[in-house]
Amino acid sequence: MPEPERRDINIFKTRGKKTPGEIKLILLVLAGWLLAIVGIQFFIYLLEINYSELLLEELTFFNLPVHFWLTGQFLPLWFIVLCVVFNFWMDRHADRSLDGSLRFRVRSSKKMEE
Amino acid sequence: MVDVTVKMIPLAMVVGIFLLFIISGLRTGKKQAVEYGFGGGHSGKIGIGAAIASNWMSAASFLGMAGMFYLKGYYAMAFVVGWTGGYVLLLVLMATQIRRFGKYSAPDFVGYRYESATARTLAALISILIAVIYITAQFKGIALLVSWLFGIAYAPSVIIGASLVVGFVVISGTMGVARNQRLSYFVLIIAFILPLMLLTRKLGYFWLLPQFGYGEAIAELHSQFDFSWSEPFAKNTLYSWLALCFTLMFGTAGLPHVLSRFYMAPGMRDARWGVVWGLFFIALIYWSAPAYGVLGRLFEARSGIPFSTDPASADMIVLTAASYGGLPLWVAGLLAAGGMSAAFSTVAALLLTGSASFSYDIYPRLIRKNASEHDKLFAAKGFFLLLSLVSMFFALHSGRMMIAEIAALAFALAGNTIFPAFLLGIWWKRANSTGVIAGMASGLFITFAPLLAGSSSTLGALLPLTSSAFLGAPVVVCIMMVVSLFSAPPSTEITSFLNRTVHNNPEE
Repeated sequence: MPEPERRDINIFKTRGKKTPGEIKLILLVLAGWLLAIVGIQFFIYLLEINYSELLLEELTFFNLPVHFWLTGQFLPLWFIVLCVVFNFWMDRHADRSLDGSLRFRVRSSKKMEE
Repeated sequence: MVDVTVKMIPLAMVVGIFLLFIISGLRTGKKQAVEYGFGGGHSGKIGIGAAIASNWMSAASFLGMAGMFYLKGYYAMAFVVGWTGGYVLLLVLMATQIRRFGKYSAPDFVGYRYESATARTLAALISILIAVIYITAQFKGIALLVSWLFGIAYAPSVIIGASLVVGFVVISGTMGVARNQRLSYFVLIIAFILPLMLLTRKLGYFWLLPQFGYGEAIAELHSQFDFSWSEPFAKNTLYSWLALCFTLMFGTAGLPHVLSRFYMAPGMRDARWGVVWGLFFIALIYWSAPAYGVLGRLFEARSGIPFSTDPASADMIVLTAASYGGLPLWVAGLLAAGGMSAAFSTVAALLLTGSASFSYDIYPRLIRKNASEHDKLFAAKGFFLLLSLVSMFFALHSGRMMIAEIAALAFALAGNTIFPAFLLGIWWKRANSTGVIAGMASGLFITFAPLLAGSSSTLGALLPLTSSAFLGAPVVVCIMMVVSLFSAPPSTEITSFLNRTVHNNPEE
């Protein structure tokens, strides 16, 4: 007797109907998270080594030197945005799954009546 | 030099805040099943978020971060990013899955997922070690505040502070005071933001949003006093910044007392949205913390006070900025009360979880095999006192380490051990007990190897004591994977449980 297929839980290799969309979203959020942190620091580093320190002193945004604003204000805000996007997607996904299961129940109950 | 006068108004405010917590805790205790929601309508996700933020806020956030800014400038931004970015990892990789897993502590999770009593015991030992380091940081913060309030030296302040915490935990444990975490957060946020608004208003800056208003202080420091913040990576390299930042993020997603928040959320959506609200509430504090460091420097420069490199003075910059700024003493009292409550609630949670880990995971497994419930309770009480004494000892001998640096060491340990164990435990079904034991043991070694090797060695440069998880966590993940692949796979029961319950995949 052939062994039934065993589904893997592996973030890089998923199977099954429910998880691939979720995994894609997780990878997208993690990519946005990583690129923002490392990218902004490299940008600031390049500004520091390629231009005079005056640029970082005078380049201000919302009253703050640009490196202070990008790292201290924008990044935490960006993390909140990423989390909100993730949660909205997960909520929609959960609602759709719930709708599907409800439709299934209604149809099956109609069949029973027939 | 210690100012030897007792500061009566701030002392009265500290006592008042703690009385408020005790009274509201007693009211909550009487309501029992009725949920205590601050502001009436704020229950549910916002309430969970406030509880997450309150549980998170410690002396390291309230005092230590501003101190790091004062002393190390832009390098301290790694704390802001690390301690907020870690919540993204927690949310997308762990929050829902941990909630579905249904275990109530990190050792419980490790023991069940990896089907190993040894792994469970090792996880419990690591959790206790993390608690000791984290409590040491809190004791240091409490001692500095006690020293400021009573005008006494640091060493007796540690002993008095630790005794006060132990007394408070006994009261809160018996009266249910620890339940009012949401109230605690709103007290903390007011205690932190209001003095900052008053300071920026006094300076004539944009005081409604002091998180932006302090930019003018940076410009003034540069133009008037030739003090520049514009060379972010001059003293600390880009590598050391990223290493600290990622260590704090991995540690955030591996701290046992942070993870335990998700076991208790009433549902999946509550767990997820609670993280977002918690992150927002935490960010409110972290957007503001750099301002205290910058304003402290500005006031010193204006008064002609030379810049101090003393870590203890830097850790108190939140209070000294308020006093240099000429604010009334009650404002400094508000800050002291906020710092005290942040440190006390963190210590209370860590002492209770540490002693529970000992009495349920170590005592009946390693010390007394047939321990009764009464024996375990007795062991928990004894270990509670022992944990306090050990942490007090380390706080007395913490040397020149700052509060935030000691806390960062706890994050490095969590990032090198618990984080990989949870990450692969949830996302890689092939991870097994041999792998996790090898991984956590390697993580322990990686965390403390820089202490043995010294900071000037190559190992010390690659794995700085407070930032070792940047390289350490990926190395531990690799070790866990290799060892797991070379040993027997986990049982079909646990892989099926992961597929069906933890990942909600009914097609199995």
